[in-house]
Amino acid sequence: MIRQDVEILLVEDSPDDVELTLHALRQERLANHIEVARDGEEALDFLFCRGPYAQRSFGQAPRVVLLDLKLPKVDGMEVLREIKKDPRTRAIPVVILTVSRDESDMANVYHLGANGCVQKPVDFDKFRNLVKQLGLYWLVVNEPPPPAAFQAK
Amino acid sequence: MSTDTTKRRLAGEAAGRTGVYNRSLIEASLDPLVTIAPDGKITDVNNATEKVTGLSRQQLMGTDFADYFTDPGKARAGYEQVFREGLVQYELEIRHGDGHVTPVLYNAWVYRDEAGEVVGVFAAARDISERKRAEEEIRKLNEDLQRRAAKLQASNRELEAFTYSVSHDLRSPLRHIDGFSKLLLEEYSADLPEEARRHLSRIREGTRRMGMMVDDLLNLTRVGRKELSMQLTGLSSLLEEAIRDLKPEMEGREIEWRIGKLPLVECDPGLMKQVFANLLSNALKFTRPRERAVVEVGETTQDGRAVIFVRDNGVGFSMKYVDKLFGVFQRLHRPEDFEGTGIGLATVQRIVHKHGGRVWAEGELNKGATFFFTLEAVASRPGESNSLPGGAA
Repeated sequence: MIRQDVEILLVEDSPDDVELTLHALRQERLANHIEVARDGEEALDFLFCRGPYAQRSFGQAPRVVLLDLKLPKVDGMEVLREIKKDPRTRAIPVVILTVSRDESDMANVYHLGANGCVQKPVDFDKFRNLVKQLGLYWLVVNEPPPPAAFQAK
Repeated sequence: MSTDTTKRRLAGEAAGRTGVYNRSLIEASLDPLVTIAPDGKITDVNNATEKVTGLSRQQLMGTDFADYFTDPGKARAGYEQVFREGLVQYELEIRHGDGHVTPVLYNAWVYRDEAGEVVGVFAAARDISERKRAEEEIRKLNEDLQRRAAKLQASNRELEAFTYSVSHDLRSPLRHIDGFSKLLLEEYSADLPEEARRHLSRIREGTRRMGMMVDDLLNLTRVGRKELSMQLTGLSSLLEEAIRDLKPEMEGREIEWRIGKLPLVECDPGLMKQVFANLLSNALKFTRPRERAVVEVGETTQDGRAVIFVRDNGVGFSMKYVDKLFGVFQRLHRPEDFEGTGIGLATVQRIVHKHGGRVWAEGELNKGATFFFTLEAVASRPGESNSLPGGAA
């Protein structure tokens, strides 16, 4: 079966980071369908099926959202809050990708319900390895939430 | 003449002499002295009182005592209290006729007639201008000190925040340089001449080193900003953990560990482990040229205080440069001999200082180095845990 749904939503404002991350994912042939949102607003439009993404449905949630914290317009923390507040999106796994190792940031993202938090290393080999592990875990190992998990109760 | 009249005359003369004598004492006093009747009127003054008020004895006698102070209400309340309680000390400010004010401490007590009836208050004032001036000076100095401390603290915080955001923001472009140079090397290697590949490797090595520096710098500022979470901790177990974490650095090397008994201390275990990790990592690094490395960790005392030390038989250092050891980015070796960012010992020092301790080093070129540190409070020896404040953790 070929999944046509988006498997990973990458929310990242830096084009360099987008390219390096996509490169790493493609190299490992882990994801065929990756959507990139360049700011928080775009990410929320996508996940909440509105604006340019109005034809999407909540049942087509990505397997995982890789979310950067520093984003233009709506920042990553706010995006996370919105996702975890709404019962239609709450079940989507969100992994924070950040350069920060600030303890208060870390505490905040976990309080808001992040499913993981990863610091982007400077070393590209390490970064590539990390992206590979993330992809492997969320796309292969992890059992995704069933459709019922995306319904408002 | 009868002996009776002689006696009386002699007694009278004696009393007269005593009176003159007592009067001289009163007048000679540098402290303003006053007697006050129960209605608050002045009944007697001395020379010093005339001086301090700028008024003559005639002017003062029979006037209200309270009139000569900056705070008449307080002066009145004062002597009224003396009539009630017998003896009181209180501070007042005497106003001179020319307007200047003398702060004084009044020591006032009641005096009685032969029948034991209270007839008035005797009040002696002590000029405390000097004390007041000194107090004011101390207050000003304190204020100044507090202002400076607050300023220093603010600029320190600012500096830390700046260092933090700079090192933070530097990581992103660094990641990109490293990533793309790596991709270039991997994907176009065949098209690149040997020298170009070598240049690229240098670029990557540079970013790797800068990445380490940025990370270490970030860690240093994080240590500076972190609130200590103190816990009673056995240093031995922290040391064991630190050694375990260093396993990769020990591979293929012959290392003799000499671990002595270490105390239980009140410290932030996460940070204290960093101290050991840094000191041990240095010890391992600088003993690399030795066939058999010897690393010794133990406790000794100096001036009655517990001192922890880490000693190695490595390449050591010249005591000439001992002052540079703990500075940020200060290195005593060439990078091709011993790698490092020059931030490790600065971090150690910051952590030890945060714990109220001291850190120092002794070394000799080619004969090894010893690092010592103290902590504010060594809570207990192992085995004495019953005497711990607040019980064992």
